[in-house]
Amino acid sequence: MSGKETVLAKTVWKYDEKPPISRQRLLGRMSVPNLLIYGAGSIILFIIICGIVPGFIAPYSPTDMAYDIMAAPSFAHPFGTDYYGRDVFSVVVHGSRDSLFIGVASVLFGGLVGGLLGALAGYVGGVVDTFIMRCIEVLMTIPGILLALAIAAALGPSLFNIVLAVSLSAVPGYARVLRSQILSIKGRPFITAARSIGTPGWLIFVRHVLPNSWSPLLVMATIGLGTSILVGSGLSFLGLGIIKEIPDWGTLLSQGRGYLTVAWWISTFPGLAITLLVLSVNLMGDRLRDKIDPKQKRA
Amino acid sequence: MFQTIVTRLLTSIMVVFGALVLVFVIVYLLPGDPALSILDPSTATQEEIDLLRKQLGTDLPFYQQFANYAKDMLNGDFGKSLLNDEPVLSKIWTHAPATLLLAFTSTLIAAVIGIWLGVLSAIHRDRWIDIVARLVGLFGISMPTFWSGILLILLFSVTLGWLPAMGSDGWQTLVLPALSLGIVGSGFVVRLVRNSMLEVINEQFIVTLRAKGLPQRLVMYRHALRNALIPALTIIGVLSGELMAGTVVIETVFSRQGIGRIISDALMSKDLPVIQGVIFFSAIVYVLINMLVDLSYSMIDPRVRRMQARR
Amino acid sequence: MSRVKKNWSASLLLLSLTLILAITGCSGAGNNSKSPENKEAKASNTTGTATNKGAEDNGQPVSGGELTFALAGAPDTLDPHRNGWATGARVFRVIYDNLVVLDSDNTVKPWLATEWTVSPDGKSYTFKLRNDVKFHDGTPLNAEAIKYNYDRAINPETKAITARSLLKYYESAEVIDEYTVKLNLTTPSQAFLRNLTQPQVGIISPTAAEKYGDQYGHNPVGTGPFKFVKWEENVGVTLERNDEYAWGPELVANHGKPYLDRLVFKVVPEEATRIGSVQSGQLLAADTVPPQNIAALKNDKKTHIYQVNTEGLPFTLFINQSNAPWNELKARQALQLAIDVEKIVKTLYLGTYDQAWSSLTPGTFGYDASLENGIKPDVDKANQLLDELGWVKGSDGIRVKDGKRLAIRYVEGSPNREKRQDIASIVQQQLKQIGIEVNINITKDIKVVVFENDDYDVYGNGQMNPDPEGLRTFYHSKTQNVAGKHNLGSIVNENIDKFLDEGLVETDPVKRAEFYKQAQQEISKQAIIIPIYVFPYTVAASSKVVDLKFDTLGYPLFNDLYLKP
Repeated sequence: MSGKETVLAKTVWKYDEKPPISRQRLLGRMSVPNLLIYGAGSIILFIIICGIVPGFIAPYSPTDMAYDIMAAPSFAHPFGTDYYGRDVFSVVVHGSRDSLFIGVASVLFGGLVGGLLGALAGYVGGVVDTFIMRCIEVLMTIPGILLALAIAAALGPSLFNIVLAVSLSAVPGYARVLRSQILSIKGRPFITAARSIGTPGWLIFVRHVLPNSWSPLLVMATIGLGTSILVGSGLSFLGLGIIKEIPDWGTLLSQGRGYLTVAWWISTFPGLAITLLVLSVNLMGDRLRDKIDPKQKRA
Repeated sequence: MFQTIVTRLLTSIMVVFGALVLVFVIVYLLPGDPALSILDPSTATQEEIDLLRKQLGTDLPFYQQFANYAKDMLNGDFGKSLLNDEPVLSKIWTHAPATLLLAFTSTLIAAVIGIWLGVLSAIHRDRWIDIVARLVGLFGISMPTFWSGILLILLFSVTLGWLPAMGSDGWQTLVLPALSLGIVGSGFVVRLVRNSMLEVINEQFIVTLRAKGLPQRLVMYRHALRNALIPALTIIGVLSGELMAGTVVIETVFSRQGIGRIISDALMSKDLPVIQGVIFFSAIVYVLINMLVDLSYSMIDPRVRRMQARR
Repeated sequence: MSRVKKNWSASLLLLSLTLILAITGCSGAGNNSKSPENKEAKASNTTGTATNKGAEDNGQPVSGGELTFALAGAPDTLDPHRNGWATGARVFRVIYDNLVVLDSDNTVKPWLATEWTVSPDGKSYTFKLRNDVKFHDGTPLNAEAIKYNYDRAINPETKAITARSLLKYYESAEVIDEYTVKLNLTTPSQAFLRNLTQPQVGIISPTAAEKYGDQYGHNPVGTGPFKFVKWEENVGVTLERNDEYAWGPELVANHGKPYLDRLVFKVVPEEATRIGSVQSGQLLAADTVPPQNIAALKNDKKTHIYQVNTEGLPFTLFINQSNAPWNELKARQALQLAIDVEKIVKTLYLGTYDQAWSSLTPGTFGYDASLENGIKPDVDKANQLLDELGWVKGSDGIRVKDGKRLAIRYVEGSPNREKRQDIASIVQQQLKQIGIEVNINITKDIKVVVFENDDYDVYGNGQMNPDPEGLRTFYHSKTQNVAGKHNLGSIVNENIDKFLDEGLVETDPVKRAEFYKQAQQEISKQAIIIPIYVFPYTVAASSKVVDLKFDTLGYPLFNDLYLKP
């Protein structure tokens, strides 16, 4: 173990003494934004691994209430232990699965339904547009968290229902954004051109309209991933959270908030996990958008 | 212009009523029985429970309940809270101002912080200022509001003793809740302003202005920002709605008066009159805000003004 | 590009960044220093008796000032008869007086009534009233008013909750003369007099009740030491001193008007905010202090902790015997042995709550202390019992019999009041060890899930009650409050029925207590319940607050309280 470390250190030191590539080029490639992207990427990768094989990474069982309660972070328990005497690190690692599920599933579901409605409204137009948009507006008059709260209360707090509640409250946003994008694309000369040469409507939509209008949706989705975990956390705060043996990060954060002045680590580490995930996903999203959107490429 | 406002109003009324129908369906689906929350199952007899259900009208089939509900709505009769017999309208009247004030203040904070950071990061694109500004913005949207709210209380009330931890009287009690909501909002605004600034900066007229030798500050804040603000304005409209919703959590954390707390209580006890009253109110606020946003487009953007004149 | 401008923006940005770091950093630093103290206090606190050390002050009480008191929950109503939640009673306790008062030694003493006699058959009580008492609205208190009150409380139109069960055996009242009233009962009840001490049967002004109708709960008028000023929903209730008050009960030292000018209750549901508002000095007192904060607040010179164990029924897990296999004694005994209550209470309440051993709490009339430390957790024995019943562990460790998994539907309410959800989580892990799967159902809708739909195997409940007669609602076979079919535990036990029925009418206190002791022993022997904890009502108050007192059910009393200048 320690042998490896010294080798690594030597390599770095070597680079410093006699860089094989010029410093300029190295910095150019590893500029701060690039470093951030790599950092974000590896964090996301790590969280995904945690979600798939948590038992591999977590040192203890996440349900084992066997340790001293509320012990501060130490070597044995890097994130400390919680008020049940569970190892916080193991709980956080195992909790990544549900957190990712809530985030990804609600973005997929909300984005799909919202996107479909928005595309339909924007591309078909006319009565369909009016009808869909009025319905969307009705949904929008009820603030998101209230809708989520009502759905969670109506269907009972389960992981699936939370996803449903969160994604439904996100539908109007996706629908509106995609619709307005499609509207602005629809009038462009290249669409008219395609139409004039007799391309069928659906083909124009798939080939030309959709590829040019979905980038804002992507950005919304990256934000949505984080917000849906947070909305889930808010529901837990309001007493409608999911009670599972291994809670997701949002629930952990909400459940541990009363211990902030006594054992800050119980809620801070799940909170930090959310923050890291949201930061990373958003940084990636920004970069993706910058790459996709031709308008923002630097002159 | 007049005609657009009229059609706008008509559709708005439709939307508000649509919302009320939706609310009815949701509340109908909610589990729970108001009769049981008023009476105590351990002392009340079955006859009394049935009698109360009859009085409340909750024993009727769905369509009849809906018909009663629609009739009351059309008459503008919001009824009384099922739980404590308080008239719903007076309830909203007492609680709405505090919520509106909180939502307004936090939107303002979100807009100011968001626009400032957004412009900063667009101007210094890919420099460390840009990165820090974006991280700060993202930090805001990566924390639940109850969490940042509690942190603010621990810092500013308990440790420093500068500001009160709870209550809704006086401007001091407004600072912390508005801040914790505003921070979240600013996260969204930063991204939007940055993006639209970047788009605008590359446009021909900005390049021309710069080439003319106008000072950077003037170009950015006078010309670029003004154009970049239009999409930001839309999101601020949406945001103020979202922040209204955020008050549900924040009002509980800071123990403030407001309709956010009322509605979460009402949802839990299936207090239909109160739920519908609050949703009606929030629907109206939503419609008004969006009208305001539309109107302010023409004030900021001369192109929109011209378009409207042509129509 | 102007360099100065850029630096200005940059420094502002830096400032905001430091601020955010400061927020997170600060909370971190503060906690580290507190955690050792916490451990210390935990150790010294394991004796677990109620600590009721008020601020010691040798000076004379000072008149004046305003006490701000944060409540964890919003009062449901200020109409005592319609009240169902203790948090409402804590507020209106000081607006109303009762006929009689329960002294700290558990005996009934005069209050609005100066003396009383009981008829030989035990079915009627004749009370002589004070003749100098006036309601806040000027209405004089007389026999007519007493009759009006109790008749109102049992009238179904009133939709009374607790009051109705307290007046269960009340039938009618007769006005003998202006200041003499006779109350008739359907059955002789030894609990009746104690029940009359409860805030939910406080005496309200008949004039006001008629005047306000169903809005009375927002316009309360009583004879108590404080007068109602205003109630702003979700904000709080403001009360002011009743200057004419001169009929304080023996329970308090000051029988005249209280020292405080005003008493303001604030509703602060979020724990951290409630405690923070006292620590920051914004409010002077806060109730329902979370166990994890108690140690730190005790060590803080600026604050005091008051803690009173409440009388009645402790928080208890009821096992629903209408579902197999819980109708079998061995299965219930397995639960009794596998659930390590001591560990639950120590883990979650850090030594600030006492473990409950019986179906009554210590201090309640008839409590059987011999049950204490009676049951030792024994996982092996529990496993053995389930084996004997033919439940065999499957591949996933959960027991199966006839293709049916051994699962428990554990229903708990929301929010996590007194950490009851956390109890469920620990029980889940403990029962996993003996091969029982616990499915926790957290619901806002206990009344429907439990009482209407009967959809549970385990449900926890407790009740503050001045008399062991409170057991009847939970253990007597005639009580059928779950879906009209059975009581909470679906308990049908002739012995318990007999003990409760005889305890109700027995006039000799020693014999009466014996009946309740036997009832408790039977309940424990039959493994009908798993008692968990005794609920202490806790208040954190600024050290400026002197002589805050409580009655035996933990309702705060403000008669003697004054503020140090």
